[in-house]
Amino acid sequence: MSQYACEWRNVTVRFGKRTVLHTVTLGVRCGELVGLFGHNGAGKSTLLRTLLGLIPVQNGQVLVEGTPVGARQMSQIRRRIGYVPQVLNTDPRVPLTALDVVMTGLYAGIGIGRFPSRQNRESAQDALRKMQVLHLARQPFGVLSGGEQQRVLLARAIASAPRLLLMDEPTSSVDWQFVHELIWLIRQVHESGSLSTIVVSHDAPFLARLCDRVVLMESGRVLGEVSAEGLLDYLGRGWV
Amino acid sequence: MTWLSLWSEPFMARALLATALSAVACACVGVLVVTMRLSFIGVCISHAAFAGALIGLHFGVSPLGSSMVASLLAAGVLGPLADRGNLSPDTAIGVVFSASIALAFLLLALLPGPKAEALSWLWGNVLTVSRENLWALAGVATAVVVLMAVFFKEIQAVIFDRELAAASGIPATAVFYAVLAFSGVTIAASLSAIGGLLVFSMVVNPAATAYQLTYSLRQLFLLSALLAVLAGWIGLALSALFNLPAGAMIVLVSTAMLLVAIVFSPKRRWSTATDGGKDV
Ligand SMILES: Nc1ncnc2c1ncn2[C@@H]1O[C@H](COP(=O)(O)OP(=O)(O)OP(=O)(O)O)[C@@H](O)[C@H]1O
Ligand SMILES: [Mg+2]
Repeated sequence: MSQYACEWRNVTVRFGKRTVLHTVTLGVRCGELVGLFGHNGAGKSTLLRTLLGLIPVQNGQVLVEGTPVGARQMSQIRRRIGYVPQVLNTDPRVPLTALDVVMTGLYAGIGIGRFPSRQNRESAQDALRKMQVLHLARQPFGVLSGGEQQRVLLARAIASAPRLLLMDEPTSSVDWQFVHELIWLIRQVHESGSLSTIVVSHDAPFLARLCDRVVLMESGRVLGEVSAEGLLDYLGRGWV
Repeated sequence: MTWLSLWSEPFMARALLATALSAVACACVGVLVVTMRLSFIGVCISHAAFAGALIGLHFGVSPLGSSMVASLLAAGVLGPLADRGNLSPDTAIGVVFSASIALAFLLLALLPGPKAEALSWLWGNVLTVSRENLWALAGVATAVVVLMAVFFKEIQAVIFDRELAAASGIPATAVFYAVLAFSGVTIAASLSAIGGLLVFSMVVNPAATAYQLTYSLRQLFLLSALLAVLAGWIGLALSALFNLPAGAMIVLVSTAMLLVAIVFSPKRRWSTATDGGKDV
């Protein structure tokens, strides 16, 4: 078994003529909690999405626990990953409750043609409880506030007990109080399982307090990495 | 013949059955089309199905079969176009839509002899549905209901967000194309009863009506199927009573239901109360 939870080897991604990732090489070791920091358009979301096989890679190789992404077992790889997307493409009237949304994170694992068990429902409720939105379980997802929706999506990502947790801007619409709680919650979830976690964020103090190390990205390149304290120092020296 | 004795006629029993089968199949497909925001694709497919039926008449093959092929083709063309970001799906749909209408009119003009049979595919006639077509409807309705039940989870996940569903390991693209294919087959099977011009409202109206009333996907399926059968039978009764075209009456009844639901929708009040700042 690979010592890396996931790995990019000389990965290049192009959209048409534009190169969005330039020969990125990066590894996240099992059990690590890594932050990904960079300007808008730096390629952070794209980098995460290559792990899920949502974006074709022109060059290089992406591996999840040693298995190359794009191989036949894609659905198995995906089931091991919990993913909180940056944006959703969902109608506000979408006919799902918060609990339904969390359940969708378990469906692939349950398998086609089988019905969710009581146990599945309990893990979904557990996840909602962890994110402190269990009282919203029966509310239609579309009428929840932005922050509430984000918490439900976080619950969805952890409900299936993934081995790799990917969060794209988890703090973009939660209040400052929940940002503090989130640091504690993510740490707790991260440490309670043999989980590897990647968090993309613009919020440097959040990343600095949360992560073991922070990878800096700019214009589709990995600039390097800094320790948590290093990130704030680095910013002090005139990032932006 | 009195109005009451009409109901004991075998053709009327067959019409009631055809209406119910087509209503259930169209309503279930309609829930998917409405919640996945594919309504315009539905319009397109129904016109392609009509053109397909005319092609069948023109070349002396089964119009039912050729309309199925045409609607599947339309679904196969529109799917990838709607899928890709680089060409606006509206444009693609507009192009396919007008092309199939143009083809239909061309074939209509080229068809020798009286046009009554050809036009019946445009208006539909639930009283003259063939035995073959009734079997096709029964098969399609059963298949649709069974598939919705078996793949309920996967469908729910894809309705929520297709990419997120794919990212979690659900075969979202397969579900999406299956939905398109089933829209095509259902529309084609309903064509001779409801007609190419009206079948689309059979698909969309009941689902849109139910969508005003519930936030639960399961209820959405049940309610739309129920409303669709109700609208179908009321429409049929009115058409028999006043000697009016059945397809038109069915669609008018289901449109009336939709209007009532919009006026009394709990969602509408909810959304005006909470969505103030949100882009809906
Ligand atoms: N599907 C796509 N087609 C074309 N270009 C794309 C696509 N997805 C992303 N890009 C481009 O790739 C670049 C990187 O995008 P990405 O979303 O990865 O940035 P990001 O670092 O996540 O930015 P942000 O902080 O704003 O979320 C952007 O310039 C974007 O325009
Ligand atoms: Mg991003």
